[in-house]
Amino acid sequence: MGAFFDAIIDIISSDSTYINGALFAAFLIFAASGEWVAERAGTLNISVEGMLLAGAFASAVGYDVTESMPVALLAGIVGSLVVAAVQAEMSHRLSADQFVVGLTLNILVFGLAGFLDNELEPTTKHAGRWVIPVLSDIPLVGDALFAQRWPFYLLFAVIPLTWWVVYRTRWGLEVRSVGENPQSADVSGIDVNRRRRQSIYYAGFTSGIGGWFLIFGVIGLFEDSVVGGRGFIAIAAVIFGGWTLRGTIAGCAVFAGALSFRLSVQGLGYEVNSELLQSLPFVVTLVGMALFAHRVRAPAALARPFVRGLK
Amino acid sequence: MESGSTDPAGAVPAGAAPAVAFRNITKRFGAVTACDRVDLELHRGRIHGILGENGAGKSTLMKMLIGLVLPDEGSIRIDGESRAIHSPLAAANLGIGMVHQHFSLVDALTVWENVALGEAGRLDPGAIRNRIGEIAEQYGLVIDPDARVGELTAGLRQRVEIIKCLRRDPNIVIFDEPTSVLTPEESVQLFASLRQVVADEGRAVVLVSHKLDEVLHATDDISIMRQGQVVDRLLAAEADAPTLARGMVGREVSLRSERAALGVLSVDEANGFDDTPIAPTTGSTATSASDGRRPVLSITNASLRGSGGTPALQDLSLDLHAGEIVGVAGVEGNGQRELGDLLSSLLSLDSGSVSIDGTRVPDGRSGAMARAGIGVIPEDRHDSGIVLDMTLAENLVLVDQSAVAQRGVLDRRSLDRFARAMIDEFAIQCAGPDAPMWSLSGGNQQRVVLARELAQNPKVLIAAQPTRGLDVGAIEYMGERLEAAAEAGVAVLLISSELEEILDLSHRIVVMHSGRIVGEMTRSEVDLEQLGLLMGGAA
Repeated sequence: MGAFFDAIIDIISSDSTYINGALFAAFLIFAASGEWVAERAGTLNISVEGMLLAGAFASAVGYDVTESMPVALLAGIVGSLVVAAVQAEMSHRLSADQFVVGLTLNILVFGLAGFLDNELEPTTKHAGRWVIPVLSDIPLVGDALFAQRWPFYLLFAVIPLTWWVVYRTRWGLEVRSVGENPQSADVSGIDVNRRRRQSIYYAGFTSGIGGWFLIFGVIGLFEDSVVGGRGFIAIAAVIFGGWTLRGTIAGCAVFAGALSFRLSVQGLGYEVNSELLQSLPFVVTLVGMALFAHRVRAPAALARPFVRGLK
Repeated sequence: MESGSTDPAGAVPAGAAPAVAFRNITKRFGAVTACDRVDLELHRGRIHGILGENGAGKSTLMKMLIGLVLPDEGSIRIDGESRAIHSPLAAANLGIGMVHQHFSLVDALTVWENVALGEAGRLDPGAIRNRIGEIAEQYGLVIDPDARVGELTAGLRQRVEIIKCLRRDPNIVIFDEPTSVLTPEESVQLFASLRQVVADEGRAVVLVSHKLDEVLHATDDISIMRQGQVVDRLLAAEADAPTLARGMVGREVSLRSERAALGVLSVDEANGFDDTPIAPTTGSTATSASDGRRPVLSITNASLRGSGGTPALQDLSLDLHAGEIVGVAGVEGNGQRELGDLLSSLLSLDSGSVSIDGTRVPDGRSGAMARAGIGVIPEDRHDSGIVLDMTLAENLVLVDQSAVAQRGVLDRRSLDRFARAMIDEFAIQCAGPDAPMWSLSGGNQQRVVLARELAQNPKVLIAAQPTRGLDVGAIEYMGERLEAAAEAGVAVLLISSELEEILDLSHRIVVMHSGRIVGEMTRSEVDLEQLGLLMGGAA
């Protein structure tokens, strides 16, 4: 038992645990912030997984062609928006079931990305590291938060932007109203399905940044397994966070902690069955959902399609 | 057809183009003609009452004016110019605003956020708060702009609706069944501000209602609609309740349902032309019959803590005997809903028990109350009475499929036969057993619920707000059915916020306040003043 606690202490006092944790958290937050907006408007947008993968792949191709990371970012956003467009137009213009569309998209993007990766074989590399003086000297979290590759720092733009858009603009007010009571929003003169489509595009926008960040800020190269189900963890983080932005970010941090813990266990040479370890973050996600899901109130019209005039 | 010929022309300021003129408007939904060549004029500075039963076409007509529905034929003129109104935003731009019955507020948002919904331009919370303050002062509609709408009472929510509508400074204001969710005092306040809305800047106001008294007292001009047509136009000053009632249903109605239709404002007026005083007719026999017999339903010392920690039910005991109708009177929100939910197996008690024929029924266990013989007409039809997207026949067997199924497999033919029998017996107006539930009018939906519950041969029937939102004919029918059920030996518990309904139907009346029964009287003992004091918690 003593050895077990020694191992735990070893892991939580290791710098790499925090650095990896911050990377996972940033990736999840890029995905979850847009997902949160889509859910506030009433779409349980499961195609966020496909958006992330499309964004990662498109940014890799963008870099391969132009060797410019900003262009790669734009390409990533565009790639992710293509997936968002299919999701948005199918589920909120043609009234197709949002889950069926989302599932199909995820599978389709996974297959396409794998195929095109083999065909194009885009080459990428890591972005440069920005070390912020003084702050990066803080023990444990200094390196994690202030000595990352530069794509990481976009996080500090995306989080306030998302908050401001949802809580301080008319568009955000309307997005929240169509997720709560689309009939009332309609009667008030708001185009419900249009707002819902736009909110999915916003999810595509942040997921595109997330995919680009994954390639240039974390891994340095593209494989079709880079996202690996973490889009679903982002969805869980929104639910875990009770559909508030603050809670969503906290959820991302908790789940990122689990993901990073798993890496550190192996990285520091402890022997645990690796398949079992693989499942740890998902077990934490499930436990988190079980503990918190019933305590929070979802947007009242979440996952309910809106058709005018019927009620 | 020229409307001027039948309009009370003296009421109209000469020369001015009407604020709104419907010309030959027709709207069909499938086989149903909701509006049939309607001509109607609304004038500035006047309140126009549109009276009609549910399904008479008045809501559809108003929806066309605010752009939620497009007419099939005819034209709408605003200030003399023909306009096509394609959306609520287009209507707002033409200066048309509507105070909706219950559809336009978002519970999760605050008051100011709701008021801001549907406008364009930059979001400026400060300016909106100021404007709410101005309107509050001008019309006496005081409200906290930062309160969450979901936490407000019905009266305050409506106040938000009115502010939301007036903020755009509309020339034409529509009130759709505004008092259906209000207490009497709130209704009086509403009509006071209604007058002011008209007086200021000469707005044209429409009051859509099926309550005779309300239309009679609050309006200047009255149009009566029936089956999609305007059948009568009168001046409010020259009209009286019996005339309106006849025009509305197209036949004589019994005074009881007429009185019920008068609604909450009308206790005094109703007694004014009352020729069936609240009398010890059947009440005395029912009470004496119940003496010394074992009750069918027995609630003993029921207590339940509400969501806010305050008690929803406090040590409530109630016995119900076969063949009697017991009315539960009280201001809404004093535990009536919890009482109904308890008997629908929706709630578990903190302490106390429910028994049927002396056998205890477990509370809060899904379906237990129904199996023990309690039928329920639930308070909110759409929420817990029916499934709108299923067919009429399917809704009829939602509770019990044993009559139309063998070993769990539905037999379509016996389902069809059963449904047709019910449609005949309860005179349900519909396209047939396979008609989707949403295609039925409110009164007919309620008949389906009634048919389903009575088909179970219940020992006890709980009728919670059974006539809410129904028209005169349907109210009358519901009353007859409840009386017939009691005569057949069912113990009926009538929970209603319409005092008239309780006074008319009940053999015995209990009054609820703060989750307890604070008074009980037989029909023969009823003293309105005492009843009012009990309801207000003052006695």
